[in-house]
Amino acid sequence: MMPSLPIWQFDVLLLVLVVLFAVVALSIRNLMGAAVVFGAYSFMMCLIWAGMGAVDVAFTEAAVGAGVSTVFIVSTIYNTSATMRSRPGGIAFKLFIGVVVTLAGVFLLSALPDFPDWGDPNSPANATVAPYYIENSIRDTHVPNLVTSVLADYRGFDTLLETIVVFIACIAIYSILRIETAKSKTDEPEEDTATAPPSYDPSDSLIVRQASRFMVPFMQLFALYVIAHGHYSPGGGFQGGVILGASLILLAISFDLKFILRQWREKPLMLLVASGVCLYATVGLACMFTGGNYLDYGSLDSVLPNDRAMARSHGILLVEIGVGITVMFSMLAIHINLASNGRFDRGL
Amino acid sequence: MTGQLPIIVILGPLLAAILAAFTAWLRPKLSYPLVVLGLAISFTAALKLVFIVADEGAKIYWLGNWGNQNHEFVVGIQITVDNLNTLLLTTVSGIALLTALYAKRLVETELAGRQRYFYALLSLLVTGLLGISITGDIFNLYVFLEIAALSSYALIAYGKGRAYMASFNYLIMGTMGACLYLLGVGFVFIKHGTLNIDNLSGIIPTLDPSQALFVGFVLILLGVWVKMAFFPFHGWLPNAYTHAPTASAAVLAPLATKVAVYAMLRIMFTVYSLDYITHSPGIQSVVLYLSTIAIVVGSFFSLTQTNLKMIACYFIISEIGYMVGGAWLANKPGLTGAMYHLVADAAMTSALFMAIGCIVYRLGQAQLDDLKGVFFKMPVTMGAFVVTMAALIGVPPTCGFFSKWYLIQGAAEAGVWHFVAALLLSSLVKAIILFRIIEIGYNRVAHPAIEGNPAIPRNEAPLSMLIPTVAMTLGLIALGLATNTLVNTIIVNAVPAALTQ
Amino acid sequence: MENLIANFNYVIVVILMMIGLWSMLAQKNLIKKCIGMAILQTGIILFFISIGAKNNALIPILTEAAYSDPDVATVANPLTQILMLTAIVVGVATLGVGLGLAQKIYHQHSSFDEDEILENQRK
Repeated sequence: MMPSLPIWQFDVLLLVLVVLFAVVALSIRNLMGAAVVFGAYSFMMCLIWAGMGAVDVAFTEAAVGAGVSTVFIVSTIYNTSATMRSRPGGIAFKLFIGVVVTLAGVFLLSALPDFPDWGDPNSPANATVAPYYIENSIRDTHVPNLVTSVLADYRGFDTLLETIVVFIACIAIYSILRIETAKSKTDEPEEDTATAPPSYDPSDSLIVRQASRFMVPFMQLFALYVIAHGHYSPGGGFQGGVILGASLILLAISFDLKFILRQWREKPLMLLVASGVCLYATVGLACMFTGGNYLDYGSLDSVLPNDRAMARSHGILLVEIGVGITVMFSMLAIHINLASNGRFDRGL
Repeated sequence: MTGQLPIIVILGPLLAAILAAFTAWLRPKLSYPLVVLGLAISFTAALKLVFIVADEGAKIYWLGNWGNQNHEFVVGIQITVDNLNTLLLTTVSGIALLTALYAKRLVETELAGRQRYFYALLSLLVTGLLGISITGDIFNLYVFLEIAALSSYALIAYGKGRAYMASFNYLIMGTMGACLYLLGVGFVFIKHGTLNIDNLSGIIPTLDPSQALFVGFVLILLGVWVKMAFFPFHGWLPNAYTHAPTASAAVLAPLATKVAVYAMLRIMFTVYSLDYITHSPGIQSVVLYLSTIAIVVGSFFSLTQTNLKMIACYFIISEIGYMVGGAWLANKPGLTGAMYHLVADAAMTSALFMAIGCIVYRLGQAQLDDLKGVFFKMPVTMGAFVVTMAALIGVPPTCGFFSKWYLIQGAAEAGVWHFVAALLLSSLVKAIILFRIIEIGYNRVAHPAIEGNPAIPRNEAPLSMLIPTVAMTLGLIALGLATNTLVNTIIVNAVPAALTQ
Repeated sequence: MENLIANFNYVIVVILMMIGLWSMLAQKNLIKKCIGMAILQTGIILFFISIGAKNNALIPILTEAAYSDPDVATVANPLTQILMLTAIVVGVATLGVGLGLAQKIYHQHSSFDEDEILENQRK
């Protein structure tokens, strides 16, 4: 059966484009070009997901995949080199991997006839557990955005762990890259040509600077709205956190890393990263002390004014704020580490 | 309070890690005791659960209390504690606790000045491993896999120099494994629409001819095989664990691969079923051959290495072959052997890496040639080392003997003689390596007790490292002596019921 | 053939997965490996989103009229979507750590080429 959306041709076009962009991103010889094409690939992908009704996922991918991931790759390349040195040989190995991968692909495709039809509302995946959320989310949690209620409540444990994944990535990159430079603030760090990132001169980007100066407050306001209004519209802690992080990264890129480092010192930044997860985990613990299971926000009704469902709604808001804090500052800290090669002094 | 025990097992190290990330900046000295406390809480809870579950049967804990919604399927996430994983939980948290006690001196010398987040990451790694062992949801298992993986990349990269490349390779392979696993979960989900392991085990028919389910099964297996470094996906392990700092390797080596083996057992026998395995004889014999090759390859490469850490890494690869083979024999002694070996091998590898760590601490490195006279310099450490090697070879009454005993029994019952031969060969190789080390460490110097020879000063590892090492080594013998109790009260209930009747 | 068209999404997923896997294993450049890894992950995300797609369904946010009695067939599947939110975040975390390691390796060996790095290490 054809996907019966009126513009299914558009979907097919996007799907073909995605494959094309993936191939181009991997075959382009200049790494900076590859990073940019990869950004475009992510953006195409998020259009496809939006077309299938996954607005929250598309939103996140637009902020994370097309936005922050691309910036990470670019700042890594900025610190190293964008040229690819090629050496002859290795064709046999590449062919061998190609054969293995093709066999794997054929094996996967062999299961296709066994799949339920695309878009069938009665397929097992759509008819087993998922209807419960659609039917009961309002009664259980008073949250009409089902993605928010499933994310932060029904499967809140996954989300706690996912926040911890971001937290781990942040402290892992910090441990890998951070180089303790000078002891006191007045000491100029030793010039180490091998690891110091090239200095960045933003004087030629007046338009970019003025535009981002104008945009950043609106981005941040929008991000706060996304976090606070996640119960009723697409969005939530992740999306809002990433946009907040991206607004700071935008400032760092359009001005200078030093500009951001003057506002966000290392110690408070890393403490804030941890405080978001801490808030989430503490809300969970509080539920245990009020007599429920871990992350059972309903049991918070003994300390909050309203009924159990409303308590769940408040609990969701609290943990979304925690997620937002950790994601925002993790993204910024990861960017600073990657862009300054762990020196926290200057860079992209 | 007892009702909350399953979550406390995870919350101990998790909260300790979060707090340690604060104290890393505010009171750096507090990070270490916090993490030790977290691990101790987790270990106590796990130990308590062993007895509770042995008496009362499996315990289910619903996160957010989303289990009893009068719905046919569980809508939230559940964690399950049953006879299959209580032992593993105790082993993981116990070994992690002992290693944390052991590692303090090592970390102070090896990572001087760079240890800010080390203990937080260590604690998060243990959280991930415990989570994989306890979760009752196949997607949640993926998230825990990634938590354990991300923290281990960082722990390995602490080794500097070559460790970066080793860690990067591990990251690429590990992510590939996790992606294959997730794709497999997708294939299961598309057919059955739920992620809860108990629900899935109820609705996947034992003899389902569905191709999608079969592809999902193979993908999940490939995913966990990459994670456990099963042949032919073992390439990342030796470099990663050798170039990692000794303290990281002492936690990672015994635990990370074993937990992946547990995940395989859980998928094979709880999500799918015993019949599903035994009715796909093609795969079964292929996997048994792969296990044999894994054991042979691991043994062969351990013979060619000159670095003690490398040798130990190749031991791990051959031991993985033991467990995968034992599980795929799919009969009672084979499975008992595999499950018992899960615990025994974690303990043996832990003792081995602790002893190697002591040697590295004093000698600076662990090339075989540097070991001259080491038996006189570090008699206690080497005593522990020899006992551990004896356990790995399979000398009674250590635990290594009993696991091998069950495995060989299982292989003989199934008539898989190549697996029996590989098991014996691997013991032989380990014996050769032990004698080679004794030869170098004991015979290649003039014996100091003989008149006229130069005395060799004792230079034993510090007590804070020596005591955990000796304790772990004695644990190997204790575990061996307790085999009967363990097998008859716990493991017998973990083996699929169809086999025990 | 008919089956192929009806399941076009899944075919694209398999192709993306093959591209990603191939470049993780066969490409020698560390940054290209990282990009391949990200492509593999997005391929899997597309797979899950396709599983949860419903014809003629709206986004999974209930309108006020549907609060009391929502029609399951017209609301997209929220479960696969939140699973993939998690997967996206895991993806960016792994990518970040991979890039951090790649940067360290580059400053050791002045190269992103795997062969060159291994040669350097052997010296």
